[in-house]
Amino acid sequence: MYINVNGTDRKIEGAWQDESLLFALREHLGLTGSKYSCGKGLCGACTVHVDGQAVRSCITRVRDVEGRSVLTIEGLQDEGRGLHPLQKAWIEERVPQCGYCQSGQIMQALALLSDNPQPEESEIVDAMSGNLCRCGTYDRIKTAIRSAANLMASDRGQSNA
Amino acid sequence: MPKLSRRNFLLATGWVASGVTAYYLFKNEREFVRPTLVRPNEEAAAGWLQIKSDGTCRMYCPRMEMGQNANTGLAQIVAEELNINFEDIELIYPNTNEVITLAFTAGSVSLAVYSKPIARAAANLRESLRSRAASITNTSVNDVVDAEGGFTTPDDQFCRYADLVGDELVVLGDEELLNVPLYTFDATKSHKQIGRTVTPFGMRGLVTGAPVFTSDVPIEGVLFGRAIKPPVRNATIRHLDTTKVERVRGLVKVVRQDDFVGVVCETPSSLDAATKAIEIEWSLSQAINQQTIDELIDIDNTLAKGDLEQTLEVESHQADAAWDIDLRFEIQIQTHAQQEPRSAIARFVEGEQRLEIWTGTQDAWAVKRHASDDLGLDEDQVVVYPMRMGGGFGGREHYDVEKDAARLAKAVGKPVKAQWTREDEFTASRSKPASSHRIRLAANAVNQLTDWWHAYVSGHVFLSRDRLPGWLLPFERHNGDLGVVRGAHPPYEAPHKRVECKDVDFPIDLGVWRSLNGTPNTFVIESAVDELARQRNIDPVSFRLSNMSVEASRLSVCLRKVQSIAQRQQVPLSPGYGRGFACGIYEHNSYVAVSADVYIDPDTKTIQVQRMCCVQDVGLAINPDQLRAQIESNLVWSVGTALLERLEMGDGLVTSQNFHNYLIPRMGDTPRFEIEIISHPEIPPAGAGEVALIAGTPAIANAVRDATGVRPLRLPIELNHT
Repeated sequence: MYINVNGTDRKIEGAWQDESLLFALREHLGLTGSKYSCGKGLCGACTVHVDGQAVRSCITRVRDVEGRSVLTIEGLQDEGRGLHPLQKAWIEERVPQCGYCQSGQIMQALALLSDNPQPEESEIVDAMSGNLCRCGTYDRIKTAIRSAANLMASDRGQSNA
Repeated sequence: MPKLSRRNFLLATGWVASGVTAYYLFKNEREFVRPTLVRPNEEAAAGWLQIKSDGTCRMYCPRMEMGQNANTGLAQIVAEELNINFEDIELIYPNTNEVITLAFTAGSVSLAVYSKPIARAAANLRESLRSRAASITNTSVNDVVDAEGGFTTPDDQFCRYADLVGDELVVLGDEELLNVPLYTFDATKSHKQIGRTVTPFGMRGLVTGAPVFTSDVPIEGVLFGRAIKPPVRNATIRHLDTTKVERVRGLVKVVRQDDFVGVVCETPSSLDAATKAIEIEWSLSQAINQQTIDELIDIDNTLAKGDLEQTLEVESHQADAAWDIDLRFEIQIQTHAQQEPRSAIARFVEGEQRLEIWTGTQDAWAVKRHASDDLGLDEDQVVVYPMRMGGGFGGREHYDVEKDAARLAKAVGKPVKAQWTREDEFTASRSKPASSHRIRLAANAVNQLTDWWHAYVSGHVFLSRDRLPGWLLPFERHNGDLGVVRGAHPPYEAPHKRVECKDVDFPIDLGVWRSLNGTPNTFVIESAVDELARQRNIDPVSFRLSNMSVEASRLSVCLRKVQSIAQRQQVPLSPGYGRGFACGIYEHNSYVAVSADVYIDPDTKTIQVQRMCCVQDVGLAINPDQLRAQIESNLVWSVGTALLERLEMGDGLVTSQNFHNYLIPRMGDTPRFEIEIISHPEIPPAGAGEVALIAGTPAIANAVRDATGVRPLRLPIELNHT
């Protein structure tokens, strides 16, 4: 059984086919950027994208994404252009404290900006309300999302020009 | 094993054999029951920093990292003293073999305890290099002046550090360190690194998914282990049936050792299946439910029995004063709920002669000690690799998930990774105690406080069976639990005063939680003072200021300032809106004042905290941006404490099991912040990691009182319970 992770087909072996997507990524494929936190899809720390949609990988079976495209935090940077604007904004705003939830926050924010490139404050809050951060970095997350949205808009402007 | 001399110690740990190194001690005078105490002596170097032969600088981090970024602040101090850029310092997180025992990382005292010793060591490095520069250039030391990354001489020679550091290893021991000028604390000097916003170490790794937490560490052939958590502390196994678990595919072993039962499996999902297949009946030595806890801490019952053991303050107390305020407050159990469930990896190497443990812990040396005791090893046979913690908040100071991993690894002879489930975290994290308070205040005709009487009962914080043998507990309890009494001394004057308390042993594990009892006590004090002012129809801020003790002058400044910031915006006159203030002193030298603006929906009764202003003074602000980050975090926590968080007990178990029934603040609960930091260049920095929470929580309660006219008497606040 294969899944496509960050652009590469990866084989899922034997008993790992019965695993959650989260633990298949972490423990079988060695992509540990997505985190286990609640195990029930209640906190968002394990968020990855499947075919462009944000999903909670802790409650998604790897079997159910067979043949589909998975994007994790490790696949977010671009070989040529370096860090993704969201990652740049996260560093620039010094968002992380403990940092454990932040890969999930970034993947959720990516889903938001893919659907809605210039979200209003209330749209950010709605989209991010399922991603918990016990350190309480929410205010900086909001700022970083707005800043990344602007970065992405100017990138698009440049590539269109 | 022969004792290493300090120099050999450096070589044996791989610290390069050249460059100039300084080590430093730190003194921590406070003595109370704590897991790892370090007594400063000549053998107890707390850390090392070095100018390498290429002129770059590196330092061992004396603190465990959990997002507080204390090591970033400490590195800024080193950079300031050495006239180098913060970005040019390499930070190294030592394992327990590489430095001598460090005290546990807690109490937000990292900068308070370490800033001076580190500044002194770095300044000595600088001055010893200046002497070398003087001797090489044949110049008087006084004429060798600071330049970035080195020194210049009157004839414009530039001596880079790299030119001054030879190939031999030179060590400046603490006893050789001199009283040289410390730039960090020199208010007349313009600082380049101190007070600067820098990007804390590790940010890039955190946003790119680099392996930085325990469970990310790749270990060849690792298996997955889990110990079954009893529903409450001290539960014993009455009956165990493992027949079904034997059939689980991927099971490696079921391990039982008295009341410790664990399973080891090949994959995480087989671990879930195996855990579910184990049938255990637990027996409890006593009935445990919300009611037993409520009875344990019932303040009025305890007062009636005259059973309060600890008198914290007493001054011509009059029990029969004409009380203006006589209120009872109840505070529920709250828990850490850090985003990373604790995790450890244990591996035996060299034919079971050596145990390696990777874990995110606030006390790596306690883990080392406990693991060697638990597994019958010498301490030298155990090495702990401290990893970044995905949140600590006081809950990660014990030998718990490390025990699971170490015992299971030993049982199967292979490396084992253990991570608590979220449910385990809610069941077995050592939560903040519940407490019950009675506070009585009286004031005279000119609104000066005359009488103060605060009595309370709380579950223990430090005095637990984990830290002390059971027979010692009653004696220590008589001396008082320093976590329980934290924050009980009011910053207000009253000629007649009594503050007393009692701490009781709870049937569930309790322990250190952000600010300990600083938040409950400040909530009670600030609610009572606020209520007195409101009942007399005077401004609650003016009332506080006119009753504040002389020693609290820095607090008065914070409170005045936060009032003026808050007043930049009017509270809407329509129903449902309110504003509250509160202030407090944390650990004698951190001062904070907070205002909160709330809106209460008239239909749903939902309380929304819309805006919080905060002024904080912790002395010298090394890194204002990270101070601000800690304040933001504390203010978000105060929303949780005031409105959301309560660990619920059922019959014989903790019923809060995940984020659906233990609510923590979400993005939508975050108010707008207006934060101001007062920096005193001449005052060494005090703790900031758990300060604003103490005032944020009562500020919200006081805003609810302002909006509703009803005094909240419980935390979390329930409007039908006010």
